[in-house]
Amino acid sequence: MPREAEPSLNEKQFVLQALKEDVRLDGRDLDQYRPLELTFGDQHGVAEVTLGKTKVLVKTSAEVTVPYPDRPLDGIFTIATELSPMTAPSFEVNRPTETEVLLARLLEKTVRRSGALDTESLCLVAGQKVWSVRVDVHVLSHDGNLTDAACFAVVASLRHFRKPDTSMEGGVLTVYTPAEREPVPLSWLHSPFCISWSFYGDMGEIAVLDATWVEEQVRVGSCTISLNRHGEICQIAKLGGTPVEAVALLQCTSVALAKAKELSGLLDTKLAEDAKRRDKGGLLAELSAENDR
Amino acid sequence: MSATTAPEAALSVLPRADGSAKYSYAGYTVTASVNGPIEAQRKDEHAQEAYVDVIVRPAAGVGGTRERHLESLLQSSLSQLILVKNFPRMLIQVVLQVEAVPDNDYENTKLVQASLNFPIIPALLQTAVLGLLSAVVPMRATATSTVAAVVFQDGAKRVVVDPSPKELAAARSVHVLAFTSHDELILAESEGDFSVKEWDDVYDAAAKICCQSGAGNADTAMDLDGPVNAGPDMRQFLNSTLEAKVAADLYWK
Repeated sequence: MPREAEPSLNEKQFVLQALKEDVRLDGRDLDQYRPLELTFGDQHGVAEVTLGKTKVLVKTSAEVTVPYPDRPLDGIFTIATELSPMTAPSFEVNRPTETEVLLARLLEKTVRRSGALDTESLCLVAGQKVWSVRVDVHVLSHDGNLTDAACFAVVASLRHFRKPDTSMEGGVLTVYTPAEREPVPLSWLHSPFCISWSFYGDMGEIAVLDATWVEEQVRVGSCTISLNRHGEICQIAKLGGTPVEAVALLQCTSVALAKAKELSGLLDTKLAEDAKRRDKGGLLAELSAENDR
Repeated sequence: MSATTAPEAALSVLPRADGSAKYSYAGYTVTASVNGPIEAQRKDEHAQEAYVDVIVRPAAGVGGTRERHLESLLQSSLSQLILVKNFPRMLIQVVLQVEAVPDNDYENTKLVQASLNFPIIPALLQTAVLGLLSAVVPMRATATSTVAAVVFQDGAKRVVVDPSPKELAAARSVHVLAFTSHDELILAESEGDFSVKEWDDVYDAAAKICCQSGAGNADTAMDLDGPVNAGPDMRQFLNSTLEAKVAADLYWK
């Protein structure tokens, strides 16, 4: 497979010199995101996120399976991140690259290990039947900052997803089809978002948010902060690179909180818009069997 | 079912691939990216011709033998269309990402083991051809494709073009046919019990959809009482999509 072309020396120096003068190639501020677009598909649980030229499609699906023997009360929740040659010809099928492994790990830590989805609520019959929720992340186009786009898409998809309704009567489990009963949303606890910083300069003194692919290739270090809109930090990943001052990192975290609030607001409005679009004639409230808490 | 709506396509939707296309019709949505000719891996290298690599990725779940089967069918069809002899020792890579398949509200599907089957071939082939055209890969001809099912209804046989999941489940046999722009049959796959007469009926119905060129509106009156419910005019659709794209690209001239 062909190797990804690296930026030339001239290109690198141009980008770095510009960043030292507080200028980015696309004219953004250092802590400004590219335009973020979120669209939901016709089916529940399909979300497509476009961040500049980065494009991620996420689909959530669920089925009933047998739980793991060591966790009989927990449902199964998996996030599958496989980069295909569609992303770039240098990616091969069935041969994970570093980008793919890092992306999978970050999503795992952010969404799964932070307990965003209540896996106990996915249990139907203890030790016998649980829901297995699977999230498939498809990266259609990669122009930097894959983590933030993918994380946003995963959270959006999971919050948009509806699983088939079930009932237990006399030890018999019935899974209703969408024609019989309106599907129900997942039990969602909080929405974490990834905010990625890239560092430039000899001491890593220039911090840049939402780096493009060219900017990602010339950075000296990066740091991904996952947090929700309440400022609860799920994880901070600073994988090698030039050391960065602790005070600078604190500054990054406080900006990240503001960005997480923005992302959360955007997601809420988009979900509300989509719910309104689906609720033709205002009959959806009558179809739901959910109780108010 | 959305079979009554016209097919939709967008070209060059992905910024980093050489060519790409997004196609949706009858509930199926597929995105294709085409890169090529690029350097082939040692094992795929052929001294006389380019290797056409087709990768089909399901929307949910891991791809299995069904996807590999679809890939092999598409690979052999596309190798016939692309002028592979022009690019020895090269690779033309076609990645087909399925985004949506029509769902059946009356049954719950098993999703973790993805199971694409061949009613999706027309969508895949159509997207691949659009992607190849977008990547300006030299081709001998373009191709159009359709799926038809033979269903028994009220004691009479009927050929249904672009059947819905419900009709597919009830169908006696399902057929996928693809034609080149020279009206030659390039792909014919069938499943189920059928007679030669039924296959001929299906062939006529499919040829009507795939091989009409341009004057598709002259016979709409006839279709109303015809035995076959008419689908869209695929060749006309392919031409108009590309005409629109070329017109948009050459706007500056």
